Amino acid sequence: TESRMRHMTCIVRERQLRHYGHVAPLPDGDVLIYDRFGQDIISPLLAVKELRDMGITLHLLLHSDRDAIPDVPAIYFVMPTEENIDRICQDLRSQLYESYYLNFISAISRSKLEDIASAALGANAVTQITKVFDQYLNFITLEDDMFVLCNQNKELISYHAINKPDITDTDMETIMDTIVDSLFCFLVTLGAVPILRCPRGNAAEMVAVKLDKKLRENLRDARNSLFTSDTMGTGQFSFQRPVLVLLDRNLDLATPLHHTWTYQALVHDVLDFHLNRVTMEESTGPENSPAGARPKKKNKKNYDLTAADRFWQKHKGSPFPEVAESVQQELDTYRAQEDEVKRLKSIMGLEGEDEGAISMLSDNTAKLTSAVSSLPELLEKKRLIDLHTNVATAVLEHIKVNERSNHNGGVLNSGTPEDKMRLFLIYYITSQQPPSEVDMEQYRKALADAGCNLSPLNYIRQWKAFAKMAAAPANYGGSGAKAMGLFSRVMNTGSQFVMEGVKNLVLKQHNLPVTRILDNLMEMKSNPVSYFSNFVLDNSFYPAIIFVVGGGNYIEYQNLVDYVKGKPGKHVLYGCSELFNASQFLKQVIMHKCH
Amino acid sequence: MAVDITLLFKASVKTVKTRNKAIGVGFDTSKDEILKKSRPKTDFSNRAKDVITNITRLKDFLLKHRKDYINAGGLISSEYSRMTDSERDQIDQDAQILIRTCSDAINHLRTEASKNALSAQTKEHQGAVLDLTEMYLKSVCKLYSEQRAIRVKRVVDKKRLSRLEPEKRNKLVDSTSPKTPVISSTEQVDEKAIQDESTDKSSTEIQDNNVALWENGKVEDELSPEEIQMFEQENQRLVSEMNSLVDEVRQIEGKVVEISRLQEIFSEKVLQQETDIDNIHQLVVGATENVKEGNEDIREVKILL
Repeated sequence: TESRMRHMTCIVRERQLRHYGHVAPLPDGDVLIYDRFGQDIISPLLAVKELRDMGITLHLLLHSDRDAIPDVPAIYFVMPTEENIDRICQDLRSQLYESYYLNFISAISRSKLEDIASAALGANAVTQITKVFDQYLNFITLEDDMFVLCNQNKELISYHAINKPDITDTDMETIMDTIVDSLFCFLVTLGAVPILRCPRGNAAEMVAVKLDKKLRENLRDARNSLFTSDTMGTGQFSFQRPVLVLLDRNLDLATPLHHTWTYQALVHDVLDFHLNRVTMEESTGPENSPAGARPKKKNKKNYDLTAADRFWQKHKGSPFPEVAESVQQELDTYRAQEDEVKRLKSIMGLEGEDEGAISMLSDNTAKLTSAVSSLPELLEKKRLIDLHTNVATAVLEHIKVNERSNHNGGVLNSGTPEDKMRLFLIYYITSQQPPSEVDMEQYRKALADAGCNLSPLNYIRQWKAFAKMAAAPANYGGSGAKAMGLFSRVMNTGSQFVMEGVKNLVLKQHNLPVTRILDNLMEMKSNPVSYFSNFVLDNSFYPAIIFVVGGGNYIEYQNLVDYVKGKPGKHVLYGCSELFNASQFLKQVIMHKCH
Repeated sequence: MAVDITLLFKASVKTVKTRNKAIGVGFDTSKDEILKKSRPKTDFSNRAKDVITNITRLKDFLLKHRKDYINAGGLISSEYSRMTDSERDQIDQDAQILIRTCSDAINHLRTEASKNALSAQTKEHQGAVLDLTEMYLKSVCKLYSEQRAIRVKRVVDKKRLSRLEPEKRNKLVDSTSPKTPVISSTEQVDEKAIQDESTDKSSTEIQDNNVALWENGKVEDELSPEEIQMFEQENQRLVSEMNSLVDEVRQIEGKVVEISRLQEIFSEKVLQQETDIDNIHQLVVGATENVKEGNEDIREVKILL
């Protein structure tokens, strides 16, 4: 049922796209109109082809020039904002479409509903508005078991926005409300009222309190509750409630800075990857344009890494060397199949010439039939192989760049300035005792010489001091130091051994702090941190939802997935207010200084 | 889960109406509504809908008669089948005509749509609608070709099995006729017939012939034991020959069916490529033109320099 979440969003979409009540899917075509929020929600889940298969002939942005197509139903999927409502009213007045199915991503207010009613009356279009829905889909599902809150305007609820020193109370309230609204939508879609757990004294607790209040208010009104048994589908959660664990990013600042070796996390770390799409520059081959010609523009190429990509689904959590091997394997299998088809082709050419060939032919007819019918599958396979070869090559390029000149010992001699800062910060955060003042000065100088921006250092120092004060800092169990040691060894032993070093690194599976918290909960271990809870916890919760307020990343996600793999019957969903890789996180931390 | 607030919306409409009335703002609804009811649908959408309704009609028609068409029962005795072959042929023919008409209609609409000077969005929409309609038609065609393939297979099977019938009848005749004087040999032949009871009509025929010859022969002459043996050997040889022939024929049948399927696939692919080839042709023509013009421009420049 962890895929239930995804199914839910898809089924809801399917329903809305089938006009809820329209019996047989006839190919008469609909037009889908969305705003940027809607686009971000749909694009990781459905490709254009899938939209076509559902009968969507056109998909357009709300705020674009749209021509009248007066004989077609239009499905809107937008946020109920002022500008969007105005544009809808304008569409109604211009009589653009035959009928209107309005779907609001989060609940629309009564007054805005009346605005639309008024415009509809004025345009004589009331009968044309066939259906209006509150979809409660104000979150973005990226994987079967992972979601983020939003992409547009994510800087409003970023780590920086929540943690900046000069934040006002009203700002904080707005941020909390936004987060709670999205989480609420998520729970409505999941169809379950969870048990809330969170540590005390931080933003996560604020979110938990507000969310709890909102859930209670909704449940109190039994008639209009969004969690009645019929909306909860099979009522699977009626006896077993999921546990929603709200955590604050500040409990673990090392993980966002980690280097990683699993495919998906690596792609997110070094390439431009978001909403399941990788954007890369096309690798230009050897320059064969004649001298004096205009320099070729480098094209940007987009690759969508979706659920339909079997290779990706199989290997997105695999260590990178394994991925490279698998791509090679797939390529070999593909080449063998291609050769088989070619061989059959040449045999076919012998027809009518040779007696012996004809009998060979009859044996191969069946083979040829299966080869031909498997051609589309072969072509798709080839496409995926090419895609992953390109992506993996790009990742490898980045890795190579980062490990130049690492001969004379010491980690600080390898990698880009940013990498150096990352490694040092990890060391600083995870070390049990802070380095002495003298050492710190040396480190600062070395980092400054290497070209690093030193402001994150100050912030992390502050954070560390505060964290020590507030509660027991997250127990890294020495894993940080271990990882550090292995990593420096890897970095110091020349490029051809990098991959071997990786294999050594990966064999040890560390549980990151977030995973450790999950482990405590699932195994009912005692933990030193007191928890806010709105229900007496019993051991049969299912599934666990971990949500990190302040941002998360794929490394954490992968660590959770790997942990749960070893526990059959347990499921975990991972969500965060935003996704950032290490360099994006560092940028946010640097911004703190400016305030 | 999504919440249907359509009723809420209608209620809002009423609220706004009453509010407007109170303020004195009125919308002249009555007259316009009557006009609005008869919103003309474009020609395109009407015709597209027609094609779709036709395809749906074909689909319903095929599905309704599918059971009778396939009809597993009554392979041997045709009295129990509810559908005669001529009826099946009629269905095939009607289906084919309808498929062709629909496909022509779709192509026609496509060329018309590209000719009309409509907005880019409308064009894209119409193109996509036609694509969807074509896919729908293809899926219905699949229904048709599936049941037709089943029918062909059954006919072939039927033919094969029906060869057994004369053999059965002959066996009955043999075992019940007491009249042949050379009982032992006939019984011997009988045993052979029972042993070789697998499939061969031809072998039984030959044995019948042998029996007939035998009966004729006995009137004129007693056949010597050597001749009996010779005939028996020839019997064996002929039987095995016929067996292998039948096996080969069966194999060839299977291959032919597969080849015809392949041909279907190939012709589909070739047709698909036709449009691509046309496009390439256009591009090449355009490219040649560009190159020509480019050369001329260069020539002019050369003259100037």
